[in-house]
Formats: sequence, structure tokens, C-alpha cells
Amino acid sequence: MAEATYKILVVDDEVDLEPLMLQRMRRDIRSGRYCFVFAHNGVEALEKLSEDEGIDMVLSDINMPQMDGLTLLEQIPTVDPNIKSVIVSAYGDMKNIRTAMNRGAFDFVTKPLDFADLRITIERTLAHLTEWRAALASRDQLVSLQRELDVASKMQKSILPTRFPSKGDYEVFAHMEPARNVGGDFYDVVNLENDRIGLCIADVSDKGVPAALFMMSSRTLLKGASIGCENPGDVLREVNDLLRETNDSEMFVTLLYGIFDPATGDFTYANGGHNEPLLVRPDGTSSLLPRTGGIILGVVPGVEFAHNTVNIGPGETLFLYTDGVSEAMNVEAEEFGMDRLAAIFAENPPRDAEATTMGVFKAVHAFAGETPQSDDITCLTLHRKEPGS
Amino acid sequence: MMEVTSERRGSTVIISTAGRVDGSNASDFQDALEANIGAEDSAVILNLAELDYISSAGLRIILLSAKNLRQREVGFSICSLSSSVHELFIISGFDQIIAIHSSPETALAAQES
Repeated sequence: MAEATYKILVVDDEVDLEPLMLQRMRRDIRSGRYCFVFAHNGVEALEKLSEDEGIDMVLSDINMPQMDGLTLLEQIPTVDPNIKSVIVSAYGDMKNIRTAMNRGAFDFVTKPLDFADLRITIERTLAHLTEWRAALASRDQLVSLQRELDVASKMQKSILPTRFPSKGDYEVFAHMEPARNVGGDFYDVVNLENDRIGLCIADVSDKGVPAALFMMSSRTLLKGASIGCENPGDVLREVNDLLRETNDSEMFVTLLYGIFDPATGDFTYANGGHNEPLLVRPDGTSSLLPRTGGIILGVVPGVEFAHNTVNIGPGETLFLYTDGVSEAMNVEAEEFGMDRLAAIFAENPPRDAEATTMGVFKAVHAFAGETPQSDDITCLTLHRKEPGS
Repeated sequence: MMEVTSERRGSTVIISTAGRVDGSNASDFQDALEANIGAEDSAVILNLAELDYISSAGLRIILLSAKNLRQREVGFSICSLSSSVHELFIISGFDQIIAIHSSPETALAAQES
């Protein structure tokens, strides 16, 4: 296999060097590994560098008329910061060698030239150059990947509603914070017939891009299934079967969906393997909604989902969350846990959906402290106002 | 953080997992499970007695293993769940997807019947 040709600029005011170099390096020139261009001082070298973008490395003498090698070293990065230079100095001239190294020379060789040693030095320099270029390419790829993730993150955030219904005596507020650029948690608030609303909270297995893709399709399927469907259990059955059809990687989503009827305060829900929501009473005491015995969505086809109805009375609050809340960890590796969540409501009985939602985020962040967030965190609050408040 | 060991009882392999399985080591967990299952094994019992925590990323690996084993007609069950992991299995409905036993002995007996 033919190796890549490297172009080396040799800068020396001694005109004898050119034929000598071509003669001693003839094997590498003939094999196509090296080719040489020559300049006789720093000014000429800079001209060659700006004319020829194919030059990979510079081998330069120090003492030359017009512009010496040390000045050239300072100038090279202005033409191309990624060119590597090797300096040729008099034997034992540590002062100039130190200066050259401090000005960014990659290595040095001494006069009289030992061509075997020069060849090793050139190879070492080129090997470094190859790695350097690979690192630059990876960095560029990483930057472009990061940009794509930023766009994906914005797209994902934009499909989560940020305007919430607050008709009559109830209000809704929800918020999601992903652990990485993109996440697997989501929530939705769907307007249904007769002023009712569908509420959903969900958590896709794992995190990152695969979870985000699964989250997008889960959310779309849920939206489609929820409209015109009276029974939350039927909604989950449909979403489950559709997810199952195209799921070879055994991803899954835990999803709770319920319909709130403001006329009665009834909340009818079915649960696809998600943490049970909390019902908080006006005095701040709370309890988990009864289990309905569903399973995670996307794994087993043909599952039926039972539903249950609870009444949310005036002054009461329904709190939906993902395990990013209950399993948030602090520096001592303790979990936030359900007791701490219940304690927030006990100390400050919810009066407002937004303040309740954001208050939980604040408490979780304060608890976690310096510990990096390991899971997406999502909370959705529905609060019924007390009459006259 | 996570430790996987295994022992053989006839043609059944009992794989014990200790510690935490989450998004940071779920792929290691998958590799460890595969490495401990031999081509001749007719059944796999996953003993989770020493498992402190498993996230959804870890549960997905269990689902993947269960699916692969089912396709190879190799038995698969889980035993000895701690109360917190058992709670998670109930909430997520995992107990309806995968056979769960209280001990390796009952899991073995069920395999043989």
C-alpha cells in the first residue's frame, strides 16, 4: 500500500544542503513517502508556506540572513498553526535550542547532520502530526455532534407544553429537566371534549439519544390515542401495541395517563408501570394513588390495562413525577426518597401548581448538592383551588 | 459498584448480581450476563439477593436477556429480590413478564418441573 506523501520544507542558507538531502533521502523520495521543497532564509520560507498549503513540516537552520530560524518559528503559526517544526542547531548550542523549543519547535537535530538520526526525528514528527490531525478531526466531529444534540434538545423541549390550562377552579403546571442534552422523560396535557383534560407523565428506559427517539414516538402515539378515547386503559393498550410492533431493542416506557373532569373533580387513570402519583390534601398530608396493576409499555403485546378513579376535591393537589425525583442522590449516596417528597408538602401544603412543581425541583437540587444529576427529572402538578381563594 | 458471579447446578447456571446497576454500567451488566451463560446451559436463574439498586437501563438489559434466551429456548427466571427491588418489579409490572421466585432452590425446582 502506498504511504501518504509528506512534504517537508527545508530552510538553510547553505546551498550544498539541497543536493545532499535529496541524495541521502533518495529512498524515501523514490518510495513516495517524502518530498522536499527548499528555502534559503526565513522570508523565503514564509513565502513558500503561504503559496503551498501542502507542506506538513519545516526543518530549519537557525543562523540565516534576512530572517533567522528563531524568528521564523514565531512567524510560522500565523501562516498555519498546525505545521510542526524541527530546528537544526550547532552541537551544544543549548541557548538557541531552548529558545527554539520555547517558541514551539517540536524537536531539534544538531550539525553536522546525522541522516539516520534525522530520519528518525522526521518520522517521529510526522507520527505526532498524524495524531494531532486525527485529534483535530475528532474535535471537529465532536463540535458538530454537540451542535446537533443542542438542536435535538431544543426540538424535544419545544414539544413539551409550556402553556397550561387553568380554567375554572383548577390549574396545571409541569416541568422537565434532562440529565443530558436530550432525555427520555416527557409529560403532556391534552385538551379533550367537554373541557376535560388528559394528563400524562412518562419515563423511557435509559437516557440520551436512544431514549429521546423512543420518547418522541411514545409521545406522538399517546397524543393520537388519547383524543376521542374515554378510557385511559384503552389508550395505554393502543400505545403499548403500537410501540411493541417496532421495538427490537427492548426499550420501554413507563407511562401514567389519566383524564381529569373539572365538572366533578374525578381523575380516571391507568398506569403502564409508572410510579404512582401522590394525592395531597389541603393540610399537606398525602397518599399514593391506588395501584391499577399495569405494566411497562413496549414489551408485551396485547396487554389490557385496568383503570381507577379518584376524586380531587377543592384544595387538593395531584402530583405526578418520574423517578428522577425519588431516586435523586446526594453526596452521601442517599436517595431523595418518598418521605422527603411527602415532607415538602407537609411543610408547605400546595396552594399553586407552578410554585409546587418548582418547589420540588428546588428541594431536589438542594438535596443533590454537588452530585451530578443522573436521571431526567419531571414533575406535573394539578391543583384545585379552594372556593373563594 | 457491580459484581457478577455464577455457579452451575447441572445444566442450570445461577448468576448472582451484587451492587448497583444503572445507566453507567448497564452495558457492562449485559456483557457480564452473556459471558456467564454457556452454550450448553438449559436454564438461567438470575439471583438478585445482593442487588441494591437497578435503574430502567438495567431492567432493559434483563428484558433483552430474557428475549434472547427465549429465542434459544433457554429457561429464565429471577430469584431472591430485596424488598425495594421487588417493589420496583411490582410497580413496573416486571413480575408479570418474568418468573420470580423467593430463593434459588424454588427457582431450580420450578425449572425442573
